[in-house]
Amino acid sequence: MIARALRWLAAGRGKTTRRFRPEAWGGIVQLDRPSALVYLDRARARALGWDGGARWNGEAAFPGRLSAPLEAHLQLTNRCEAGCSGCYTSATAAGLPHEQDLEAWRASIDALAAAGVFHLALGGGESALLPWLGDVAAYAREKGLVPNLTTSGLYDEATLARLVAIADRFGQINVSIDGVGATYAKVRGFDGFPRADRALAALREKTRDVGINAVLTRASFDDLPALFRYAKARKLSQLELLRYKPSGRGRREYDAQRMTDTQAARLLPTVLALSLRHRLRVRLDCSLVPFIAHHRPSPRLLQWLSIYGCAGGDHLVGAKADGRLTACSFAPPEAGAPVRDLAAYWDTPGAFAAFRGWPAAEQPCQSCEYLPLCRGGCKVVSLHVLGRLDAPDPECPRVVAHGYTADGGPKKVRPSLPVIAS
Amino acid sequence: MRLFGRRLGSGILGAKLGYNPNSSSLGVDVTFLLFGLSAITLLTPVLSLLVRGIARPQPAPDKTPR
Repeated sequence: MIARALRWLAAGRGKTTRRFRPEAWGGIVQLDRPSALVYLDRARARALGWDGGARWNGEAAFPGRLSAPLEAHLQLTNRCEAGCSGCYTSATAAGLPHEQDLEAWRASIDALAAAGVFHLALGGGESALLPWLGDVAAYAREKGLVPNLTTSGLYDEATLARLVAIADRFGQINVSIDGVGATYAKVRGFDGFPRADRALAALREKTRDVGINAVLTRASFDDLPALFRYAKARKLSQLELLRYKPSGRGRREYDAQRMTDTQAARLLPTVLALSLRHRLRVRLDCSLVPFIAHHRPSPRLLQWLSIYGCAGGDHLVGAKADGRLTACSFAPPEAGAPVRDLAAYWDTPGAFAAFRGWPAAEQPCQSCEYLPLCRGGCKVVSLHVLGRLDAPDPECPRVVAHGYTADGGPKKVRPSLPVIAS
Repeated sequence: MRLFGRRLGSGILGAKLGYNPNSSSLGVDVTFLLFGLSAITLLTPVLSLLVRGIARPQPAPDKTPR
């Protein structure tokens, strides 16, 4: 076991990842094995030999707003032939007009590296269809960024073989599998599980850094135990659970697919119990943080573990297939700014305004002790349900209990939530 | 816990664990919520040692006689 651990640690050596990025309060150190971004105060960073330069002039409190995103989500293409009924990008076999080519993505990666970004999450559409996906991953590595990938697994053998051949260029690859067997079809509208499973098995054979992305719906929630069992049986490194978003084709099915309030309130204890039972690492996406806060974990612990809600325009940015910059993958493009202009745009007054405006959130968020962490919940859900990006997340248990309505009219209180012990 | 006279973990403000491969939203590892605040006590010395392992080499002290 010790030899295996040493081999695992050694495999991470020699990678040319960015090591340190100064921040006003100190800096961020990147570890490869185990993969982590570690936040240090100035004294500790200085003692270890790093210098913050001009960023360390004056005083600054942790965490503040970062000097650049930690990660960028690149939609390399909007081409995908799967036709999932809830696709958040409305991907089609034709893709989008004016999609960036390899050279343009290389220029974008240059800009992200210069800004100090650590990680990339590559997706689509289905980016495995791009014959130059491996070139993008290799170029990101060359520039010190860690590329990670989401893929559906829904493609032919030749495409899968091409992806398996380059799998070791990625820090982590997750295959989108929203449920095991028939549950998959309930979420996606067709039975793609056997193909996704085949891709998962092939990738896992090549690298251990493979996991699952699963969208939570009211149909899939009760099958979470089966999904955890499946992930464990496939010897995966992580299971990442995502909230169903009312974006793209997902808008049409949102009301029928989204988790019920009762399921949302049960989410955290359910996944932690399954994580413990199956000894499997579990990740929850930023939009699920209101449901974590519902169980009142220590705010200090959430901050220490970097468990933040909407971090668009701060911890992350996105880029559309044509290279336009967004606060997150669901957000509209930022005034036409291309991602290659990120560094200049980052500190522009009004940049990512709807996402950075959370300190001025309305009630009941304003009086919530989790506001600096949750940041008002998922803005894409707010936009869809209430018509405004900056409205409180209407599915947050606290907002539901408050009876929030967008027009300030009579409160329409939804059925009360069961009390779940944390 | 101390190492070389320094408290292990001092100066560590937090950590974001693992990679987020999801290209639509920001996923964070919540597994350590199982341990409550003890997670910080468990993780800080480990991360401190690992960070020390990749720290920038300090310039060697000048031993030239003056």
